[in-house]
Amino acid sequence: MNAEPTPSAFSDDDLRRRRAAARRLGWLLAAFVLGLYLIGLLIKR
Amino acid sequence: MACRMQISRHSRWRRAFDGFGLPPRFLTLALLGLPGLASAAYNFNFPEPVTPIARETLHIHNEFMLIITILFVVVFAIMIYSMIKHRKSVGHQPARFSGPKGATQWFWALIPFAILLFIDFVLMGIPAVKAIINMEDTQTRADMVLKVTGMQWKWQYEYPEAGVKFISTLSTPRDQISNAEAKGEHYLLEVDKPVVLPVGKKVRILLTSTDVIHTWWVPQFGVKRDAIPGFLRETWVLIEKPGTYRGQCAELCGKDHGFMPVVVHAVPEPEYLAWLEAQKAEATAAAGGADRAWSSEELMTEGKAVYEKVCAACHQPDGKGLPPAFPGLAGSKIVNGPLLDMNGKVIKDSHVDRVMHGKAGTAMQAFSASLSDVELAAVITYERNSFGNSKGDMIQPAQIKALR
Amino acid sequence: MSIATTHPGGHAAEPYQGGLRRWLTTTNHKDIGTMYMMFSLIMFFVGGLMILAVRAELFQPGLQLMKPEFFNQLIGIHALVMIFAALMPAATGFANWMIPLMIGAPDMALPRLNNWGFWLLPPAAILLTLPFTLALFGIGDGALATGWTFYAPLSVQGGMGVDFAILAVHILGISSIMGSINIIVTIFNMRAPGMTMMKLPLFAWGWLITAFLLIATLPVLAGAVTMLLTDRHFGTHFFDAAGGGDPILFQHLFWFFGHPEVYILLLPVWGLMPHVLATFSRKPTYGYKAQVYSFIAIGLLSVVVWAHHFFTAGMPVPALIYFMFSTMAISLPLAVLFFCWIATMWKGAMSFETPMLFAIGFIVLFGIAGLTGLILADVAADAQYHHSYFVVAHFHYALFAGGIMGVMTGVYYWLPKWTGHMYCEKLGKLHFWLTVFSFNLTFIPQFFLGLAGMPRRIPDYALQFAEFNAISTVGAFILGLSQLIFAWNIWITVRGGKKAEGRVWESAEGLEWELSSPPPHHSWETQPVIK
Repeated sequence: MNAEPTPSAFSDDDLRRRRAAARRLGWLLAAFVLGLYLIGLLIKR
Repeated sequence: MACRMQISRHSRWRRAFDGFGLPPRFLTLALLGLPGLASAAYNFNFPEPVTPIARETLHIHNEFMLIITILFVVVFAIMIYSMIKHRKSVGHQPARFSGPKGATQWFWALIPFAILLFIDFVLMGIPAVKAIINMEDTQTRADMVLKVTGMQWKWQYEYPEAGVKFISTLSTPRDQISNAEAKGEHYLLEVDKPVVLPVGKKVRILLTSTDVIHTWWVPQFGVKRDAIPGFLRETWVLIEKPGTYRGQCAELCGKDHGFMPVVVHAVPEPEYLAWLEAQKAEATAAAGGADRAWSSEELMTEGKAVYEKVCAACHQPDGKGLPPAFPGLAGSKIVNGPLLDMNGKVIKDSHVDRVMHGKAGTAMQAFSASLSDVELAAVITYERNSFGNSKGDMIQPAQIKALR
Repeated sequence: MSIATTHPGGHAAEPYQGGLRRWLTTTNHKDIGTMYMMFSLIMFFVGGLMILAVRAELFQPGLQLMKPEFFNQLIGIHALVMIFAALMPAATGFANWMIPLMIGAPDMALPRLNNWGFWLLPPAAILLTLPFTLALFGIGDGALATGWTFYAPLSVQGGMGVDFAILAVHILGISSIMGSINIIVTIFNMRAPGMTMMKLPLFAWGWLITAFLLIATLPVLAGAVTMLLTDRHFGTHFFDAAGGGDPILFQHLFWFFGHPEVYILLLPVWGLMPHVLATFSRKPTYGYKAQVYSFIAIGLLSVVVWAHHFFTAGMPVPALIYFMFSTMAISLPLAVLFFCWIATMWKGAMSFETPMLFAIGFIVLFGIAGLTGLILADVAADAQYHHSYFVVAHFHYALFAGGIMGVMTGVYYWLPKWTGHMYCEKLGKLHFWLTVFSFNLTFIPQFFLGLAGMPRRIPDYALQFAEFNAISTVGAFILGLSQLIFAWNIWITVRGGKKAEGRVWESAEGLEWELSSPPPHHSWETQPVIK
């Protein structure tokens, strides 16, 4: 794998889009965690 | 006895080394450079097995040790060869490959996993499955039942067919534990009343507990099983050789987890039957004792004995307890409260209630299950009239009997 | 472009702040990574001191230094501190520092969450250890005394130390979940153009699987300890047979978390190893894809094998056989990793700087952990090993030799990148050899103790176990003291030393080595392109 810095920068738009997507996925995962917790808590034999 | 143990320990080593191929004792000593330790007792493998399960387990263990030792040596011999040959300082030029190429290389790359698969599921797996099925078969041709109940921090043994039950507690003096006197040969592995089992009989062992989870373990039996409060678990032993076998509780069960040993006397059957008869006679005598009236001196003497055996681990010999987990009895409101209500019934949360029925969610267990009428009456009377408590009252075994 | 766009906190244009305020409010992945690493190092010594007290007590038969109650508190808190406050934060610290550098991101995707995740740790660590101090003032009866496993009903009858530990575990869990969410979304959303998933550095892959395991299992642990809390204080009977519950239910829930936890601790290390081995063998990583698939396979298998932690609790024969074989199956992907590590070294041009030494030490000693783990999976033999010192030795080979020595590998490997200075090679090598020697001196005797029949978690033991315990204690003290060299080496490297180049190691590959050492405060202001 080769990598080299290029003069092009992260554009504002690009970063904003990526962060919004990250936030959405983050909330989704958090909801999943909460769901698991509740299942774990309410588990009955 | 001691001499025989010594000899068997030697032969144990030899058997262990047959499996290993190399003497770890020698390695340890060489590592330390301390020849002075040569006289000390080192055990490098399971103690001598005395049941079919323990023998099978030792066999499986030796076989597995051999397998993993070979795996370890082969894999790391390859690595060490590479570390010697393929180093920069000897001018080795690095290759550039990053994965298997072509059928031959793939073949050789996959071979180790085929071998591992074979080892896992055939070489190790098949004997293991056989051993498990044997180990879990507690009922086929079982000759007798022994019920083991774990309690903080003692074991109760019950022979349901004979109606005999008793409690077995650590007999090592406290002074030995606190280093005030020299430690005996069986330090921490000795009890006041060992459980006695016949040799050559398949004993089905049922386990349960009154408080927390304990684990009943005698290494020479190859058996270890949890005692779980509210549930029965089972296992079995068939002891092949008379002797005294020692083990310990293996599941952390509170402060005296390290001080609840298991001692089993394995004896020939006639001897076992004679012992059982003696126990029965003793139990009958004790039960008869419940019906007569006891003097306060008798109750105090018996009560002191019971207290020191059963209660002192938590509430301490001086009755001061270890607050807050284990409250003191000296000056306690509960102990110094009323004995029974006007109708001679148990008052809720009173002294008698606590001793007989315990307190949920604490280490205080319900002793009505494990102590006899006489013992309960004696210990309650003793607690009310010791450690500076001077209620001056007493309770009769007959009263306890009626309260059950 | 403006600087503000590359800095997610939005205050990059503000003048640089120093002092406490910088550390409290930072959203910079490197600052947070540094704090994680420092926290981890401090807690490593805290947990180490606890176990040295335990080993001192076990030096001879008899009770010399402490009461059994206190002994029980030390062993449990030692484990919780080492797992939750030393190993996990160290791995998260690596992730924070390295993942943005490795994937060409300007920072973590959710920087404020990142800050929060770290600052939850110190209060949790205080909660965990506070009961010790409170007991000195006569409040309560000390810390959690059930071992780190919280087994009910022992934990139901325990003192307020249990409640403190439950609360601490909740907070630590929330912190880890936030860290994991951040790492997952960073890897999914912040990769530089051209960095496809199958070009992702293995370290990031290892962490990705870890993060998924964390968010899948920590909620179950949280649920289990919450049930414990309600059993203790609100009259429920989840784990009480008298009320229709089952104590073994707790063990199932706990180990559903507990077994994946082992891989949570180890996957970041397995991810790091190929980087180190490739660098010092001057050869590309062998079997990249095989390693990625192995990570995934281990992650999946780890959540279906939990019951091998309590074979002696008694379960139906088919369950025993299933859990035995599924556990043994893990040996296959693990063997793939070993194969790839050794194949990476094979025909390279190896040199043996400190990180390489630790990596090799890791492979050999972790090999012992894996092999003993294989035989522990066998139900029949496990009846003898279980709850004994054999298990204690086994999991210390996994978590000290596997986890902590793995972390040390990473620290030596990346410390020049972080600080811009080379560490002292002589001290590093001394640290390595002392660690390996004393580690084995501590734990090899414990294998034999376990075989001879010494149960774990006992404060005092029969005379036949005396010699091995004495040796083990001597080893533990050397092991503990040699870690001071490590701390000292880090200290002098942070303070100064030979300047490190951007690439640090001559044949190191990957984006992180394209930046200067130390990297600029805001990494990748210009976006790298992966070819």
